Amino acid sequence: MNLRLQPVQVATGSDDAESRLVYDNGFLVAVLVRLSGYHGTDAGKWYLEAGFGRVDDPSPPTFADLPEAQAWISRQLEPQP
Amino acid sequence: MNQSLPARSPLIRKLERFASLSEADRAVLEGIGTHIENVPAHWDLVNEGDRPRGIFLVLEGMAYRYKMRANGARQIPAYLVPGDMGDLDVALLDRMDHSVCTFSPCRVAWIKPEGLADIQLNHPAIARAMRISTLVDEATLREWLLNVGRRSSKERLAHLFSELLLRLQVVGLATENSYALPMGQAELADTTGMSSVHVNRSMMELRREGLIALTGRTLTILDVPALKALAEFEANYLHLGERGAA
Repeated sequence: MNLRLQPVQVATGSDDAESRLVYDNGFLVAVLVRLSGYHGTDAGKWYLEAGFGRVDDPSPPTFADLPEAQAWISRQLEPQP
Repeated sequence: MNQSLPARSPLIRKLERFASLSEADRAVLEGIGTHIENVPAHWDLVNEGDRPRGIFLVLEGMAYRYKMRANGARQIPAYLVPGDMGDLDVALLDRMDHSVCTFSPCRVAWIKPEGLADIQLNHPAIARAMRISTLVDEATLREWLLNVGRRSSKERLAHLFSELLLRLQVVGLATENSYALPMGQAELADTTGMSSVHVNRSMMELRREGLIALTGRTLTILDVPALKALAEFEANYLHLGERGAA
């Protein structure tokens, strides 16, 4: 799995702006947004703002840090048994 | 066993919106239920798969119906405020197909199906009002489906808050623009089919736009017409003016 992260700003309509586009072999698979101070105990965590294909999730998770987010995205992209 | 209910039973307040009740009707409704229990917050009144144990009536506090996925994801398709009852014909079912849990400490009356059937037989106005109430529950579910499927995050919350204002006003638990909101962000997320993050952002937007204020657990709607307009809230589905109908 070769994920590439590109820093961007996302206009979420809130203070949550610092973001990463996540590419898997050149394909955009996810958008991660860092939660601002407004989110209390979740501040600083990374939120799956959008996931595409197998990374889509109706209950989008939050992650403590980017390595944790990448590990989760990688698992979603693994071939199904 | 039979304890007396508060003088102005929320059930009477609610059913009076659907039918003209006589003194005898009101007296029967005041004493409805063979067993009254006080349960804490976050307490399952009903579990999916249970045999129905009767019809519950919320006297105080707020509860909700829910369905849960195997992975723990949950959807809340209905809120139960004081005066709201469980399904009237639940005794026809072998097993419950959903669960009911409390948001806050609740006082609940349990009504035996045969007792309810007896009341409906002898008090046609009550029977009529309860049937309208069931239609309203179904109409509200349709409205919530529209909400979850076809409204934006902010509009979903605006609609929910507009509806609750009216429903709680009917039973005397809201002022002209404020009421206690016992549920937290995760529960609002499960109600509106959003993540807690989106609920949080939308609440912030509604506050920034001067539409709502949340102090502790008290929600104040600062601009009721504007909030209703944002949600395209039309109260027709609550049928609060059916009383005059023949």
